[in-house]
Amino acid sequence: MAPENDEEPAGRKIPVPESCTDPYLRCAFNGAAQTALGVAGSALLAHSPQGCEYLVNNAFASQECDYMETVTLCTKLCVDEIVHGGEDILARTIREAKDLPISALFVISACGPEIVGDDIVAVCETLQPEVKFRLVPIPSPGFRGSQYDGIDIALDTILKRLVKTGTDTIPGSVCLIAPHANANPTWQADLAWVKQALSRMGIPVVATLTHKTPLSEIENCASAETSLLLSHDAGQKAADYLSTTSGIEQVCKGIPLPIGLTNTQRWLAALGERFGAEKTAESMVAEGEKMVMATCRRKWPMARFLYRTPAAIVADATIGIPLVRFVTEEMEMTPELVALYTSQRSVRELLERELRDIGISPKVVYGTDVYKTKMGLDEVRPKVIFGSTIERHACRGLPVPYVVEVVRIMRQFRMINREYFGYTGILNLFECVQNEWTMAWRSKEKRYEAKW
Amino acid sequence: MENDSLVFHGDLQQLLEKVETGEMIPKLQASHAPMCKFFTAYYVISGIRHVVPLVHGPTGCPLYMSDFVRTRECCEIRGVPLEPTACTTLDESHIIYGGEGKLLEAVKEAYAKYHPDLIVILSCCCSGIIGDDVESIAREAEKQVGCRVLALRSEGFGGDFRSGYEDAFKLIMELMDPPKTMMKGTINILGARWGPSPTEFNWDLDEIERLLSAIGIKINAIIAGGCTVDQIRHAREVELNASWCYDWGQKLGDLMQEKFGIPYSKTGQPYGPEATKEWLLGVATPLGMEEEALAVIEREMKEVEPDLAYLRQALSGKTAIIEISEFPGPIRALSLARMAEEFGARPVVINVHPYTIKERMPSIKYILGTGLNPEIILTRGLFRLGSFRSSKETEDELEAIVRMYDNVIFFGNSGRFPPCPVVNLSLMNPAFQPQYGYKGIKNIAALVRQALENRNLPRSRLFRGMLYGTGKR
Repeated sequence: MAPENDEEPAGRKIPVPESCTDPYLRCAFNGAAQTALGVAGSALLAHSPQGCEYLVNNAFASQECDYMETVTLCTKLCVDEIVHGGEDILARTIREAKDLPISALFVISACGPEIVGDDIVAVCETLQPEVKFRLVPIPSPGFRGSQYDGIDIALDTILKRLVKTGTDTIPGSVCLIAPHANANPTWQADLAWVKQALSRMGIPVVATLTHKTPLSEIENCASAETSLLLSHDAGQKAADYLSTTSGIEQVCKGIPLPIGLTNTQRWLAALGERFGAEKTAESMVAEGEKMVMATCRRKWPMARFLYRTPAAIVADATIGIPLVRFVTEEMEMTPELVALYTSQRSVRELLERELRDIGISPKVVYGTDVYKTKMGLDEVRPKVIFGSTIERHACRGLPVPYVVEVVRIMRQFRMINREYFGYTGILNLFECVQNEWTMAWRSKEKRYEAKW
Repeated sequence: MENDSLVFHGDLQQLLEKVETGEMIPKLQASHAPMCKFFTAYYVISGIRHVVPLVHGPTGCPLYMSDFVRTRECCEIRGVPLEPTACTTLDESHIIYGGEGKLLEAVKEAYAKYHPDLIVILSCCCSGIIGDDVESIAREAEKQVGCRVLALRSEGFGGDFRSGYEDAFKLIMELMDPPKTMMKGTINILGARWGPSPTEFNWDLDEIERLLSAIGIKINAIIAGGCTVDQIRHAREVELNASWCYDWGQKLGDLMQEKFGIPYSKTGQPYGPEATKEWLLGVATPLGMEEEALAVIEREMKEVEPDLAYLRQALSGKTAIIEISEFPGPIRALSLARMAEEFGARPVVINVHPYTIKERMPSIKYILGTGLNPEIILTRGLFRLGSFRSSKETEDELEAIVRMYDNVIFFGNSGRFPPCPVVNLSLMNPAFQPQYGYKGIKNIAALVRQALENRNLPRSRLFRGMLYGTGKR
């Protein structure tokens, strides 16, 4: 992806932007679709050529939408609409959808109509009186940036257009932001773990931005006392907006997300302290750590054999940064490459703080793409990679015995969502290592044929 | 079945006429979006080994390709190494000031990074609208790198999925050198795509290759299913072009015939004994290898005689309701209709969308020209807003259609629950692949046997509920 617009720390050489990349991240249009499809009881209309609908389909799957409940539509723009404008076809398609039993129709626009100047906001305003549901235009062309930029764009629109102001604050409550900006393929389980932890501490969740979130929740999200960002890659702008406009305080800011014993303990403690639930947080930590250790005692995680094994972590910042400590402290490996999909200042600061604190200095690649990852792996030659299916193939020819697929998994093998956050999350990550360990040790050939 | 559920009931010829005259509008509803031109162009180009498809656009365009085509399909399933999906990552400033400079740099960078045999610039909506001259950049860049650089205008709005395939195949012709020799008894297979390994259905192409090899026919290149640039360069030295699927090979076959005078064997998909014989003789006869082909056909027919006998006995007098509307597509449905008819069944093809008729017009006309003109039914559910995956309305309509006929067998996939035996032709189950050729006859016979012998076993309440819900039916 393109380098993001943060300044480099003083004295560091600014890398020359590359012209040819092999990106990990999708475009802003996809991020906007992911966010819009997290609103329950809504539908999505892509004002785009038909190919962009596949980015919507990807978002649909990511938000675990049900095709019996959620309809996605597309204006399927062709040359005519690019030459003469596509506002008429957009209006026709909205009218076609007018009988859908929904509370909102999100209209997201792609590169083509944005370049030719289709005014989706005006079309939605004109058509609003004709339909019973809310029309929410989100101009989100792919060229506006990565999927994370798209999430920020869509959250900005949602907050500005749908949230009621002047609502009473619900004391001790929280608004969850950007749970879907997380490369765990079943991130819904991370969100569920967070909600369960908050519930145990007696912290009500006013709204989740966004996952299966009713419009009414979104409308009331300014009544939250605090916000909790569940991603290191996107959503900070939404948290800042809520802070500026409604005085909503962001909690757990600057703390790595709760993956591994130390991170989870730190994150829960911060929450406990802010909400006066220190004792509950302490018991959760004690119970959780006891459960993990007892389970490991019974199940024997093979991860313990990987002591001081050189490792690479290739992921988004949301999973990748917390993994650094988990891999180093709990699994006793030595991270020698950390390649993150994103490169914004907050990501750099957080990772660099973590590396300093842990006392390691791996090779770090921010805003990595497939080429940089492959070159990094070639240079570092790790024995274990925590990454995606792409790295499994990118390390071909290198002596890498274990590729633990934890993000962007191409073969969807999980029927039950698995969290990485919290204590069961530790076991889930151990299970990923265990399965990879088993596969690496499985005999590929038999030494002789049996007689029967 | 209530009459108002039927939108069309006639034969293929009549449906074609309705589409051609505009009486039936060949337009998919807003909830149904097939691939765009860029996608399909990419599929073809990525089928050349050691190519860099360089996407001149933002990151959204190549991502489906790099995830689904490159990583999942090619690397995970087809044994293809990780190949690049390069992108110029256009942003707002390029939209305003133009992206040609960045593109030129990107080509040079791609060459330095990946050492490819070929770079193909694929333009997207953005670069197309702002008017970046990708062809000129390709020409300029070619002077500065050590491989061919071609450009393909593949803006998503620039045409439907078919145009991407066709334009990409056309572009590949630019790589073909004038012939220096004639490769006797050698053909190209045209129309393959989807990653640098043979087509999306390896098994079918494997069966074709097995039969050709038995006859003694050699293959120069499978274009573009894993062929090399060198093989493409020599593509004009073959005696004949053939297609693994008439629908996809036809355009390139016709163009190579027209431009280079290379004959093109026009045959349909080799489903069943007659179509397989036609396919093999269509290739062997022009090469003067008819006798060898007949010997192979005779030997193979002997091998599958029990299966042929079973299919004749099982299908004779039955109504074969055929529904393959999405994957792998309507041309296979029509090929199956021919096969069913060959075994004495009456084929009724359901829910071939008028859009499909328009998009596959040359193939539909070819099929009609072979004398096949099956009964066609289109239902109201086919035109409703809803999911591409599954629609309860079309399921209900299918069940009602089945009740209209006696002695019915359904050819489709296991996602349907009509009150009759269901032959599961899903290509997602490699246990019964290929469907082409003589191995295909064995597999289809086995599938029919499974359907008929187990017709009284209960169907899955779970899967039915998953697909169509558990509401009152």
